[in-house]
Amino acid sequence: MTVFDAIVVGAGPAGSSAALTMAKAGLKVALLERGSFPGEKNMFGGVLHRLTALEDVLPNFWDIAPLERHIVKKTLTFMTEGSSFSVNFDNQAANQPPYNGYTIFRPTFDRWLADQAVQAGATLLSSSTVDEVLREGGRIVGVRLLRDNAELRAPIVIAADGVLSFVARKAGLRQGRFNPDHQGVCIKALIDMPKDVIDDRFGLTRREGASNEIVGNTGGVRGGTFLYTNYNSLSLGMVLELGSLMKTDWTPYHLLNNLMEQPQIAKLLRGGRLLEYSAHLVPKGGYQMQPELFSDGIMVTGDAAALCIVTGLNLEGINLAAQSGVIAGKTAIVAHQQRDFSKGCLSNYKKQLEDSFVLKDLKLYRRTPDMLHNDRIYQQYPELVCGMMDEIYRIDGRPKAKMSQMILRQVKEKIGLKNMLADVYGGWRSL
Amino acid sequence: MKINLDEIFDYTSFNIDRDPHIILEENVCQQCDQRACVNCCPAACYTWDEDNKKMTFVHDGCLECGTCYVVCKNEAFSRWRYPRGGFGVAFRMT
Repeated sequence: MTVFDAIVVGAGPAGSSAALTMAKAGLKVALLERGSFPGEKNMFGGVLHRLTALEDVLPNFWDIAPLERHIVKKTLTFMTEGSSFSVNFDNQAANQPPYNGYTIFRPTFDRWLADQAVQAGATLLSSSTVDEVLREGGRIVGVRLLRDNAELRAPIVIAADGVLSFVARKAGLRQGRFNPDHQGVCIKALIDMPKDVIDDRFGLTRREGASNEIVGNTGGVRGGTFLYTNYNSLSLGMVLELGSLMKTDWTPYHLLNNLMEQPQIAKLLRGGRLLEYSAHLVPKGGYQMQPELFSDGIMVTGDAAALCIVTGLNLEGINLAAQSGVIAGKTAIVAHQQRDFSKGCLSNYKKQLEDSFVLKDLKLYRRTPDMLHNDRIYQQYPELVCGMMDEIYRIDGRPKAKMSQMILRQVKEKIGLKNMLADVYGGWRSL
Repeated sequence: MKINLDEIFDYTSFNIDRDPHIILEENVCQQCDQRACVNCCPAACYTWDEDNKKMTFVHDGCLECGTCYVVCKNEAFSRWRYPRGGFGVAFRMT
């Protein structure tokens, strides 16, 4: 049996950030990964936000990390079966370091980030699925692997094992079943396309990238669509709330196939070729579904701790994961200095999360999941917006209605005045 | 362009473990009035045969997303874990 100073379960952004932080301080760290290499099991929509958490240790991050494109152009689209209305924000300030966000591939990026931890001295153990946590006198003191029942011991275990986090559950930090309303399934098609075709279609040059979030045309299922530009491929996918999806007969891939045939999307995808299809859950319930974040000998980070913000405009996760990993790592360093691995000492982890943007932002957006629980957003509002635009622009030989009257009529027809007022109030409060 | 899950092994790589990481107690599904797994699974691993009232689960093309674990209200799994190290889905780019 091997004894480490800390065991990190999961070599994703949270786990590798924690391992990197601790290894730099000289701790003996085991970084466990169930894939045959870090990132092999990981997928996400495709945009990595700026990782302020890692800028201290990796100051020239954007020069050395394997990035696809940096995002300069953000578009929000309301879409129906045949029409779409977009708001476009093209920002030159996002075209220079420190960049605000990038498209990346997880198998490449996560492998690179884990390698930073390894270079700092962490021991990476790939192909290692954790099956059980080890306890002694109520404290977590290690893990047992599914392979040969091997046991690894350390006074601190950091759970960075993703959205379902069986480690947090087995340590007693998460109880009960997940609420399907709190989970979204993200599915994604990676589409091959030459760089110059992408540049022309999306109005980009060099390493500039575009991100497009789309509301509507999801068969009435609560969720949204994203379209991101990689260097020479596109990421097209959806996040669908399970609580909503399970009440319909839609499958995720039928909805994605419908979307690929939507005329405006089809034009952007023309000539593309499907390279890879992937799926994963997103802990979109955020603050409302958080497990306990620490106990004797254990801390929970990243998606495992539901550190995820889904507002429709922003989809944040990796930046929160990396920040939580760094804070957990720093807490572990202090715990080793004080030779104290108790709940009391590790409570500093939560305190520092509360002082950082991680829990501040999660609390700020705590009501957003309730606001987004409104079915009208996903069908009636996109139809309202596109319907109004259609009337405004349409020339059909008939006299036009006064714009205010037209809008009022459309609102009454498609939403209902009372609903509209309630939605505006709810939306205002949640953002 | 279309996603056709009959061809999933052409798009996405797998190292299939003969020992399944998910074991479904299919008799539980016969009593289920929801069977959300059938439409929610993004890899179509669950098939319900209405004529014979039989659920079939195949783990081969499982993307390890976790959807069935969350939507199954009957906890019909006698095993739900991630595959042994090195087995299962292997994303290359995504």
